[in-house]
Amino acid sequence: MRRAARRGLAAAVTVLSVSLAACGGGAASTSSSGGTTPSPPVVNNVQPIVVDSGPSLNGQPIGTNDELFTTVTICVPGTTTCQNIDHVLVDTGSSGLRILSSQITMTLPYTTDAGNNLIGNCVQYADTTYQWGPLAKVDVRMANEVAGSVPIQIVGPSNFVAAPAACSAGGTAAQTVLELGANGILGVGLFRQDCRPACASSSPPSVYFSCPAAGCTPTSIALTAQLQNPVWMFAQDNNGLAITLPQIGPTGAVSVTGSMIFGIGTQSNNGLNSAQAQAVNSLGNFTTTFNGVPYSNSYIDSGSSGFFFLDSTATGLPDCTSTSIVAGFYCPASPLNFTAITSGPNPNGSKTTVSANIAFSIGNALTLIESPNTAFNNLGGSSSGVFDWGLPFFFGRTVFIGVESQSSAAGIGPYWAY
Amino acid sequence: MTKTFLILAALAATAMPGWAVLGGSAESVVTDQLKFQAKRSVVETQEYTIHEISRDDGTLIREYVTPAGKVFGVSWSGPVLPDLAQLLGPYNSEFQATVHAKARHRRTAEVANPDLVVESGGHMRAFVGRAYLKSMLPSGVTQEAVK
Repeated sequence: MRRAARRGLAAAVTVLSVSLAACGGGAASTSSSGGTTPSPPVVNNVQPIVVDSGPSLNGQPIGTNDELFTTVTICVPGTTTCQNIDHVLVDTGSSGLRILSSQITMTLPYTTDAGNNLIGNCVQYADTTYQWGPLAKVDVRMANEVAGSVPIQIVGPSNFVAAPAACSAGGTAAQTVLELGANGILGVGLFRQDCRPACASSSPPSVYFSCPAAGCTPTSIALTAQLQNPVWMFAQDNNGLAITLPQIGPTGAVSVTGSMIFGIGTQSNNGLNSAQAQAVNSLGNFTTTFNGVPYSNSYIDSGSSGFFFLDSTATGLPDCTSTSIVAGFYCPASPLNFTAITSGPNPNGSKTTVSANIAFSIGNALTLIESPNTAFNNLGGSSSGVFDWGLPFFFGRTVFIGVESQSSAAGIGPYWAY
Repeated sequence: MTKTFLILAALAATAMPGWAVLGGSAESVVTDQLKFQAKRSVVETQEYTIHEISRDDGTLIREYVTPAGKVFGVSWSGPVLPDLAQLLGPYNSEFQATVHAKARHRRTAEVANPDLVVESGGHMRAFVGRAYLKSMLPSGVTQEAVK
């Protein structure tokens, strides 16, 4: 591993000039010499991220709490017709790029299936919000990385059929800037696709729909046609990513900037260093042990605007008033400190269990949210039987996301490392 | 004393899946199962009956039925959310009214009203949740039964 990396560095210098010459034409240079893997060019792999008061509507930020954003460039495939979409939510809890149709000014044809019917995609969240819309293909650019012809979801266009009941599921659409609190969602989670493997089966769940005039029905869809985590489609630095945010104080911060760094151990700036890797199960979950009790429905989700874990009985934390704007959050009189243990198998194949002690704090959600700050490391609420390590987990850490089936020094994804 | 029946059904289905409604009669469970293109198993305990509806995509829905044939609780797990308008019936509007008054991106829903309790958690590919009516729990049965 180490020897290959050194060789790669020397080769990178030569390849870089080739890459620059090819720039614009979109041609990828490949080498067929002698069975060695050609070294990728060294490209800028650092994408700025920010926690702030969110996208603007009528010239004013809408005001958000614990939402992590980045600016994504989308282009008509193979062209320089591009558009920057700011305030796209960085979401490790999902896979695939979704952009609100209201934010897209380019013409992007919708994808059709073999029967020439439009394809509808549905994503749901446990708070019972959903996004519905057709698919289109774009080149996705972040830092200097490019993922070509990526299927993405165009959220809520007015010229597309309404969401079927199996998608809305009795919930509420989050398809406007105000409803979503963002201009889109960048799913850079553990998996390559949003649905695989269930959606490629003969009994697909309500995620992809074939939409003839008679109405939309769930359909199976090839893996390559599903929404893709753009990171694994990059030409290089495609085995995962790291999200780095600085630590903040107990009253929060007005805004926080950090980095999303593509690749794991592929360049000098993305090595694992002391981070310990924990694999997840097929659902993307691991175990969190809290007060001696193991909870197997545990996950890390930068798209969750707080720690959402257990209930007031299990935590001893008082719930906020059920009629207040922070209903569902915890409202202790003063911040309380906790420790929990995350654990999962080592993704290196040894099958030994890797554990980490995580110290965290929960403050008064009403006080925090009513302050002028937008970034909090101690915002939390209840989620019975579940341990959702939301955005507060990311402050003061570098969190690596090892993408499904992709390889690094830590092993094979999907895994977390921190 | 537990009896288990397993009924298999695989019918071509074009209708959306449907279920007996929370608080309502359990009579429609069999029809629902057929529409849902699902397998059903029935587990009878002394205090209540559990109807389990499962699909090959990993969806599992449990309906908890009182001896009088009323659905006092439901639970779900699977790659997508069940249609809560059907599963919770008239209680879905109470649930929605409570849960969407809240901050964005909670990505979880917890409602604990005087009678209705709904807990929805999880993420893409892996949702879990349950709902029950406190007033309809059979005597001697606690909310822990609904899981």
